[in-house]
Amino acid sequence: MTTIPFYRRKETKLVLRYVIALALVVIFVFPIYWLFAISFKTPGEIFAFPPVWYPKSIQFNNYAVLFKDGDAKTVGNSLVLASLSTVFAMILGTIAAYSLVRFKTGGENLALWIISQRMIPPVAIVFPVFLLYVWLSWVDTYIGLIILYTSFSLPYVIWMMRGYIEDIPLELEESALIDGCSRREVLWKVVFPMVRAGLFATAVFTFVFSWNDFLFALVLTRTEVATYTVQVTHYFGGQSNFWSKIAAMSVLGTIPVFITVATLQRFLVRGISMGAVKG
Amino acid sequence: MSDLKITGLHKHYGAFHAVKGIDLEVPSGELTVLVGPSGCGKSTLLRTIAGLEEASAGTIEIGGKNVTWARPRDRDIAMVFQNYALYPYLNVHENIAFGLRARKVASDEADKRVKRAAEMLGIAQLLRRFPRELSGGQRQRVAIGRAIVRDALLFLFDEPLSNLDAQLRDDMRVEIKRLHQELGRTMIYVTHDQIEAMTLADRIALLREGRIEQLGAPLDLFERPATRFVAGFLGSPKMNFLPAIIESGDVILRDGTKLTLPPGRKAPNGQAVILGLRPQHIAKAGMGTAPGHVQLPSTIELVQPTGSRVQVSMPLGGSSITAEFAAHEVTAPGEQVRIDIDMIRAVLIDPQTDEVI
Amino acid sequence: MPAIAHPDRNFKYWLISPAIFLLLLIGLFPLIFSLVVSFMRISMLETDRSFAGPVNFVQLFHDARLWQSLAHTALIIVIALPVELLLGLAMAYLFLDTMPGRQILISLLVLPTIISPIVAGATWRLLFDNRYGPINQILGWFAGHPVAALWTVNPRLVYPAIIFCEIWQWTPFMFLILLAALSNVDRSLTEAAEIDGARFWRSFRYIVLPAIWPVMSIAILIRGLDLFRIFDIIWALTAGGPGTMTETISVYAYVQGFQQFETSYMAAIAFLVIALLTVIVTFAVRRMGLAK
Ligand SMILES: Nc1ncnc2c1ncn2[C@@H]1O[C@H](COP(=O)(O)OP(=O)(O)O)[C@@H](O)[C@H]1O
Ligand SMILES: [Mg+2]
Repeated sequence: MTTIPFYRRKETKLVLRYVIALALVVIFVFPIYWLFAISFKTPGEIFAFPPVWYPKSIQFNNYAVLFKDGDAKTVGNSLVLASLSTVFAMILGTIAAYSLVRFKTGGENLALWIISQRMIPPVAIVFPVFLLYVWLSWVDTYIGLIILYTSFSLPYVIWMMRGYIEDIPLELEESALIDGCSRREVLWKVVFPMVRAGLFATAVFTFVFSWNDFLFALVLTRTEVATYTVQVTHYFGGQSNFWSKIAAMSVLGTIPVFITVATLQRFLVRGISMGAVKG
Repeated sequence: MSDLKITGLHKHYGAFHAVKGIDLEVPSGELTVLVGPSGCGKSTLLRTIAGLEEASAGTIEIGGKNVTWARPRDRDIAMVFQNYALYPYLNVHENIAFGLRARKVASDEADKRVKRAAEMLGIAQLLRRFPRELSGGQRQRVAIGRAIVRDALLFLFDEPLSNLDAQLRDDMRVEIKRLHQELGRTMIYVTHDQIEAMTLADRIALLREGRIEQLGAPLDLFERPATRFVAGFLGSPKMNFLPAIIESGDVILRDGTKLTLPPGRKAPNGQAVILGLRPQHIAKAGMGTAPGHVQLPSTIELVQPTGSRVQVSMPLGGSSITAEFAAHEVTAPGEQVRIDIDMIRAVLIDPQTDEVI
Repeated sequence: MPAIAHPDRNFKYWLISPAIFLLLLIGLFPLIFSLVVSFMRISMLETDRSFAGPVNFVQLFHDARLWQSLAHTALIIVIALPVELLLGLAMAYLFLDTMPGRQILISLLVLPTIISPIVAGATWRLLFDNRYGPINQILGWFAGHPVAALWTVNPRLVYPAIIFCEIWQWTPFMFLILLAALSNVDRSLTEAAEIDGARFWRSFRYIVLPAIWPVMSIAILIRGLDLFRIFDIIWALTAGGPGTMTETISVYAYVQGFQQFETSYMAAIAFLVIALLTVIVTFAVRRMGLAK
């Protein structure tokens, strides 16, 4: 009776796998749960010893404080900066990638140079950028940060979109050219529709990168366009008084990313594997 | 009046010389087929006409205008691609209307034309479908539909049938021929398939290594090939080539077999030649000998039935030749037969120049 | 693939020039500027702006704090990167086959990666709190007596704290990429090996690893680069402390530039970083066979 144990083994293996998987999920999700939990706790619950594992009731006081003080505006700033820079980076990056792929503009070297831009550590250029921005009066302005995030996202967008554009059959574009499209119309009517899925996948990551940035926002913003990441660090002190604010602000800054990723999830897995495979 | 006139056209890809001086004039309303082996430059020539490739030298005139440097969309052409080139994100109707919309044709006029083209091609019931929901043959019809609604001066086809299976290919070939007759438009059709070329063409331009080897009506090329290459390329099974020598008006094969040339056929005495015999012109001997025909005994070596006809191989003049008999005329290998060769249609080739004498 | 002919001559340059302009403005220009500044004597606390020659670069070699910060960075990389890789790989194997609710579990696992590193650091700051944080509480259950470890202050514990946080945030990234790579491995190959009696390790070593290596090596490279410039998590957790114990190269450069206002010196550090990265990446690309 050798077949039955074999079959059983698969079943017990599944159970074991499942238990481990659930345990892992609990471990990885718990910190996020804790963050959310604190944001709904009363001060008494936050500073209880031993810690309370869940808030007795959901109350939004911690958030209300952020809105009342105007701190919540920083989430709005992040939203404006990340979404506008994503839109610009997607447009500029895609047309640049198209130029690289279709016309071999600048040859292989230009493409490599663009990629290498992504390797530069932010800390190596943040200071000269700061001086440049002082000179241009761009410090603490929307335009300054949007341009910064756009150009920081460009190498990634160009690299990813290059892969998607290479997959467009040349005949589709040629056919459109013969049928009466100009080069520009071919871009809008053929290239962009053909890479739609790739656009979404790339845009999600671009958005998340810009949304999560801290270093540039720390150096280049003051009050006008301070982002939520900078705002969160304002609540750090030796004291724990600002726990509720840290948690509530972090949650506010996390929810838009969760929503974006959840909405566009079907594009993501493909985006990740494509990007990784194509390098 | 000609819709297309090409003079001295060259195309280089870097160091590679793909098109080496083509002169071609295509009369209005004719279907000209560019045929030749793979890699001979057919697509390159067609794409240069379309403006998808830049000419390295020479001029292209379409409808009497010099369009050598014009953009594709300014050339008044429509093109059908080998792999259909349908837009996957547009449905059939939108695909067919694409060129009309790009040219700002009013939408009700566009709808009318799309409908007419769809009916002509028998795809009227598919207009709401997307390309992925179509079979290969239906996709090809849509691709053709997209070209014909354009009502262009010149239609270009680049191997439109080579992605289809054999049965469908025959149907579509008939369809294209019918369309050409109905529309009466000038068409240039590229294929590597000589049967497609023979059946479709008003005129054939046979290309070889970037040059036109011979230009003419299909039967002209078949019956009166100018070179050994043309003689060998057209016809299936292939023409038999036998080394021979001319002696006092007779063709003497390598093993001494004598084939008498028909009276009046001029041939240079004492010269080495290559004798070209089409398999269709070698038959099983019946009663008597027609004038200009020669009869010989031989033994069948190999039999390949193809349906109503059968290809047989047999020795002749020290080589093996192929002949095509009616299916009922052959029993088995080893059979002794008398064959009848139509020497009137035999071709004599100068082995030095490969040109037909 | 033939390029389309008749490009409306300058069209291709129009398409690419905005991107190039921005990359020059935010990428190349600051680099050149840095290079110039690094040879000067600029410091916000003094008015001297004269040319200094390689003084700043010489100073690099005498700066113990700099080399310590590099060592700190290396320490974090050397521990976090292999753990993330191996844990991510193990998790990818775990989730490779179907199981109930697989897609949802995967989505949940990915959450840490998409939140901001600053928020990750802040979250762990809360978790690690010696009195009100849950970690000491849980440890107490296992130890049998209350634990009051000062995770972000105690010199023996700060590195584990940082590395925990780092691993928590980025293992899911490795996991996702490796899961995608593993799913693309042709099953018939591993099954054939299994039928031939190959053990897991053999079939992994000779079939799976070569197949996923192109993806895996890029993931390692990306993560390695990110770890090299690690800043946010440390800023949120320890800000480099206690003292300068957890100061990484990015933190140190930031402190020099924006807290000590040693502009020229910071520029010199930046160039050291870029030079190091270039060497490491070139080496890594060669070793991992990435150069296609
Ligand atoms: N873009 C190109 N670059 C270099 N060589 C090319 C290019 N396109 C075609 N060729 C070469 O030109 C020759 C003719 O190609 P083509 O016109 O496609 O042949 P076909 O007659 O089969 O359509 C081939 O040898 C091909 O390799
Ligand atoms: Mg071709």
